[in-house]
Amino acid sequence: MPAPGSQQSGPQQEEQESAQAGEVARLLSYAVILAASVFLFFDARGLPTSRWEVLGAGAFPQLVFGLLSVLCALAIVGSLRKLNLAAVRGFAGAALGWLRTRYLVLVMAACFGLYLLAIPQLGFSVATFVFLLATQLVLAPRRWTSFLLALGIALLFSFGLNALFAEVFDVFLPRGS
Amino acid sequence: MLEAFFSGAGQVFSPDTLIYMLLGSIAGVVAAAIPGFTVTMAIVLTLPLTFAMDPLQGIAVMLAVYVGGYTGGLISAALLGIPGTPSAVATTFDAFPMARAGEPGRALSLGIWASFFGTVISTVVLVLAAPPLAIFAVRLGPWEYFSLIVFALTIVASLVGRSVLRGLIAGAIGLAISTVGPDPIMGRPRFDFGIEMLAPGLSFLIVLIGIFAISQLLSEVEDARSVRSGTALSTKDIEFRTWAVMREVLMRPVNLVRSSIVGVLVGALPGAGGSIANLIAYDQAKRGSKTPERFGKGTPEGVVASEAGNSATAGGGLIPMISLGIPGSAVDAILMASLMVHGISVGPRLILDNADLVYGMFVAMVVSSFMMLMVCVVSMRAFLRVTEIPKWLIVPAVIVCCVVGSYALNNRISDLYLLGFIGLAGYALRALDYPLAPLVLGVILGPIAETNLRRALMTDADWTLFLTRPVSLLLLIAAALSIAWVVWKHRETKKKRETASQ
Repeated sequence: MPAPGSQQSGPQQEEQESAQAGEVARLLSYAVILAASVFLFFDARGLPTSRWEVLGAGAFPQLVFGLLSVLCALAIVGSLRKLNLAAVRGFAGAALGWLRTRYLVLVMAACFGLYLLAIPQLGFSVATFVFLLATQLVLAPRRWTSFLLALGIALLFSFGLNALFAEVFDVFLPRGS
Repeated sequence: MLEAFFSGAGQVFSPDTLIYMLLGSIAGVVAAAIPGFTVTMAIVLTLPLTFAMDPLQGIAVMLAVYVGGYTGGLISAALLGIPGTPSAVATTFDAFPMARAGEPGRALSLGIWASFFGTVISTVVLVLAAPPLAIFAVRLGPWEYFSLIVFALTIVASLVGRSVLRGLIAGAIGLAISTVGPDPIMGRPRFDFGIEMLAPGLSFLIVLIGIFAISQLLSEVEDARSVRSGTALSTKDIEFRTWAVMREVLMRPVNLVRSSIVGVLVGALPGAGGSIANLIAYDQAKRGSKTPERFGKGTPEGVVASEAGNSATAGGGLIPMISLGIPGSAVDAILMASLMVHGISVGPRLILDNADLVYGMFVAMVVSSFMMLMVCVVSMRAFLRVTEIPKWLIVPAVIVCCVVGSYALNNRISDLYLLGFIGLAGYALRALDYPLAPLVLGVILGPIAETNLRRALMTDADWTLFLTRPVSLLLLIAAALSIAWVVWKHRETKKKRETASQ
């Protein structure tokens, strides 16, 4: 039987590991933002200036991306001071674990992406009907009442919403190709 | 003057105008409660319906939508944690935790009463102080405007959450997003890389819907077990205690009046509006509070500040519009357009040539706020039914509303792809513990800052004017003090935490 002390340290250690994995993820995000802002800073230098004003179209973006680069560099230094090597080694496993617990988010994000791509092809009504029915059935508890409710909502928010916008607001949602 | 007042009031109190205003009020509340539907969108959709009406009747209906819309934004902010409109961003900070803690009825009642009093206070200020305030606002040059925005951006520092640096990075990302697309002075394309979706720039509204709505909706389905069990967003019993909450709001007169005055002042400045006023009023309430640590955890002070602040901009925004013909926000610009459609020129002579119309607008503002209150108090239980809907049903349906709202704005398919990208990026930033409010503030203020910076230097290439013009200097000093205060406060808190852990 484990000692009481070790029982307490288990969750605490897990929490620490998760915090360290979060810090590694943030470090990566700072690096990505830094790289993008440095690239865009130099890209902004190529923007045309004007004879009518002291500042050209690129001056304000340079100011912003310069500021963003400095802030990210500071954040990277701060983050590196907090991290230990073990956290970096265990990051891939922790990230996979994090994604696994949020599989519904990934499913929803994938459905949402497919839905947006399908709207121009299938039209708003059909794409929305399929998206709503599919996602609600993925998320809903397995019951007949849930299925019927999902079907009703899918019809209302696809064909119903389309008709409302067309008839009342004169806004025509995509019809599909 | 009295004759004009009675003539205007008579037109507003005619039965058909009152019925149209009631319908407008309901439409405003409902539209703004849907995430992705802004007050601006609701007003735009109302505009064609008012062409056949008399000028005052038309503008009274639009004012009813306007006032109703500022309150409607609070419903989804409190119940779903998604600001229905940009002006309800700060409302999510406290109303949502309060609703989650089992008091959704109190959160809504607080917001509704604060909105009502905010609108009434702003109308009183509008009637009494319109001329001097408008003269002050119009005297500001681009130097003062740029400094004002720098000051507004330092408010980011007080909204940063757990890390000052991450808050500042989020604010700078917002500014960066605002630089994509044609530059505001010469219209030269920037950072579009030949991609059609980026060419017109990243619409603020799409960014807002993606960052707040989509990322929030995705995070709602993180816990698979609670979603599948059919758990509603809030399952606690709901008590409104409407009159008790009214007393609760009135018991904080300083916060209420201060937030309303902030709303009036911000609304009176062209370019600013409810989307900024709620954040500034919230920030001021937090700084002035004896218990600032309770902010963000469901304190009534936060809800009152944000809602009184954003509703008071409705009156504030009309000040420069009525007396000078300068719209304070997009909504005011649409109101102005509706008057111009009827052949009424909006400018300094408006109050002289069409006094009955102006006094009628004042009366319509007050009537609108009473109607909003009536609509909300009577139908609050219906709005609260939103909390009884299970997540599996509401999340996909609200996503569809966001898609429709994003498309209806410009009728562009590319805006939908943008919504998808920004929604996923918003979710990633949320998961990485970046605060999202500073990012949105950066997107709003970016173009205003750039335009005024460049305009100032076009007028005079001398940079030192930012420091030698008194109002500009004062604003810059205020900005520096604001940052210094926040850094000092963060250090103090850190020290206290370290001492406590030892």
